[in-house]
Amino acid sequence: MSKRQLAMVMDLNKCIGCQTCTVACKTQWTNRNGREYMYWNNVETYPGTGYPKNWMDLGGGFDAAGDLQPGVIPNLEADYGVPWDYNYDALAGGASFEPNVEPTWGPNWDEDEGDGVFPQDNYFFYLPRICNHCTNPGCLSACPRDAIFKREEDGVVLVDLDRCQGYRYCIAGCPYKKIYFNPKISKSEKCILCFPRVEQGLPPACAQQCVGRIRFVGFLDDEESQVYKLVHKYKVALGLRSDYGTQPNVYYVPPTESPVKFDAEGKIIEGSDRIPVEELEKLFGPEVHDAIKTLKSEMKKRKETGESELMDLLIAYQHADMFRLDNTYYQKVAKEKGLNPLAPVDTRYIAGKYTKTGHSINFTHGAGSTAGGHH
Amino acid sequence: MKTIVTTLLVSALASSTLFGANATINALKVADDLSTISYASALWNKATFAPVVLYPQTTIRMNDKTANELNADNPAKKAMVAAVYNDHSIAFMIRWPDATINVQKGERTTSYADGFAVQFASHFSDPNALPYIGMGSEGRPVVVYLQKVAKDIYEPNGNGDVALQVNRNQTDLFGKALQAFDDEVASLGNSDYERSFISEGFRSMTEIKDGSNNSNARIRYMKRNKGWEGTLTRALRDEYVNLDAPVIPVAFAVWDGEKMGRDGLKHLSAWVAVTLQGKSGGEALIHALEGTLVGDPKAGERAIAANGCVGCHQITSKDAPNLMGPSLVNIGGYSTAGYLKESLLKPSAVIVPGYNRNAHPAYPWYTLNNGKRVSSMTDFSWLDEKTQNDIVAYLQTLKAEVK
Repeated sequence: MSKRQLAMVMDLNKCIGCQTCTVACKTQWTNRNGREYMYWNNVETYPGTGYPKNWMDLGGGFDAAGDLQPGVIPNLEADYGVPWDYNYDALAGGASFEPNVEPTWGPNWDEDEGDGVFPQDNYFFYLPRICNHCTNPGCLSACPRDAIFKREEDGVVLVDLDRCQGYRYCIAGCPYKKIYFNPKISKSEKCILCFPRVEQGLPPACAQQCVGRIRFVGFLDDEESQVYKLVHKYKVALGLRSDYGTQPNVYYVPPTESPVKFDAEGKIIEGSDRIPVEELEKLFGPEVHDAIKTLKSEMKKRKETGESELMDLLIAYQHADMFRLDNTYYQKVAKEKGLNPLAPVDTRYIAGKYTKTGHSINFTHGAGSTAGGHH
Repeated sequence: MKTIVTTLLVSALASSTLFGANATINALKVADDLSTISYASALWNKATFAPVVLYPQTTIRMNDKTANELNADNPAKKAMVAAVYNDHSIAFMIRWPDATINVQKGERTTSYADGFAVQFASHFSDPNALPYIGMGSEGRPVVVYLQKVAKDIYEPNGNGDVALQVNRNQTDLFGKALQAFDDEVASLGNSDYERSFISEGFRSMTEIKDGSNNSNARIRYMKRNKGWEGTLTRALRDEYVNLDAPVIPVAFAVWDGEKMGRDGLKHLSAWVAVTLQGKSGGEALIHALEGTLVGDPKAGERAIAANGCVGCHQITSKDAPNLMGPSLVNIGGYSTAGYLKESLLKPSAVIVPGYNRNAHPAYPWYTLNNGKRVSSMTDFSWLDEKTQNDIVAYLQTLKAEVK
């Protein structure tokens, strides 16, 4: 357990499945060098197969006694999907528009399919997923090389790429399958909670770009933080599949607002709810009932009295109201450790570390690489 | 009664020779330069190959369900090993059977490589306190050389090539310039996977990256013999280990990519004695590696049952896997008698770390006392010496057969 813990809360009532978070993450971290197939952040339709395919059935995590459970490593072709691209260049020469590989599977393949019968009781909701930066990470426990560590100062779980030997036991050990094997460098990689941004006081890219403003970020021990209030004070934000025993630190406000069902004649069934509460219980545990109760009663209170701290929190009038980060804290940590305060904890991922002038390149045939503008 | 015991002892000795500890490997002294020796060198025709049996690693159970199913019924393998040396270097060749070629490819997440490793003990002056076979133990470091069959692995960062790590679609290049970019990126790939490590126990293995490893490992497939041929050359003396001795302990391991082999999913030998031609001495080490304790395995089996060892250890593959302590199913294959006895009398001397302690919080194999690992096992030094030797003799019989 780390000294402090960063946490994220996602309000599923507000997620519109636009994938802006996915793109924000992908363009920042995973669009190159063997990471093309990885989605450190993905938004899947629930119920559905998810990403990778049927990840909930692939093992990992811990049993009630606390023993790490064996797991299955997903396959690129069948479970993740091979990324494809199109022949844009050839189009100018009159070629037909073709993908470079036959697309057979990919993330979000079953978008918006959901479950139930249209129009009576069909339903689905979006489930955005990133690494849970668990308090008891399955990946860390499975690693035979001590290559995975949990940062003392904020509980972010990272892979030490120097130590990692590409054995992939971490993937079997993670019940969320949120750690990926990069075949090009033969090492495992995962969501880093955008720690270089967080250390500067900025929220992770997925949270900053979120159109629906569903993501709160802060320290769980900071009683003024939104995440503390949602998780501990009101207890309306719950971990995903906490039964895996890894103590996840990404929390979800369950989707409480769904339309009513219709009967066979197309009439409204009063008081009905399209999203079965059993499904929510499966995802978020038995605590979901109390969470729903609190959310409903606070909403009622807000309607009647115009006042509710919880509703104000969830509405988040200003985007900045959703984050409580602390760059001075990281500067203090850096000072204590004698590190460079601009990149206080880990310099490995800082882009441009070895580029002398700028972040993009302008490549001239045969003349090596030089810097140039592409932004 | 005395006669019976004597007969039993004789049969015990006979059976232990039958189970066949590895033969000594005699390193041939040569005048040739070994720094560039490969599998193709004619020197290997002069060297004598000795059998080394490689047993499936079963002490620690890995958490990959598919791989565990593939490796459920794993026989031992017989490798043939030869060695040559000169005043500066020592070289080994290992040949082992493997019906399939498995290459770790740079575009697949589920491809695993065939490969081999050679392990040296940093200190071996006390033949009865050699490093633990599974990558050394605390205070008893080992140096390990690993070679795998890989195709174009790209090391992340570190070489000033960040500009070449962007997605080709996000460069502003096209046509010939883009092709040149692709070529330059491709040139960064390395299919020589060779790595050297220093390790003081299963999880502490650290790669030697400063170029001080002085080694060269190669591997090729022999279609005719359906097996791999690997060579390793290293300095006779360097800052990690001094092999300039009459007898040195060396251990070998091989991985089978077909069975998702990597890390602990491997076949490994016990410490094998390698004699350096023309040097005399070192009999104590040969005896420690090849001799067996005089004991009665049948009585040992009864003693193990009577002392409830199966409560924590899986003893034979028929027993249910037990998470409490290391599995002993192949312990006779890759352990020396000295190690087994040490573990029985001083369980904390070498602790197989297994998974992270977090992985089994309910059944910790060891506890930490002021940073020192203390085994959860009671010591059995109170047993009379005959029983101790019987137990060790029985443990030495626990190993898979060569198929």
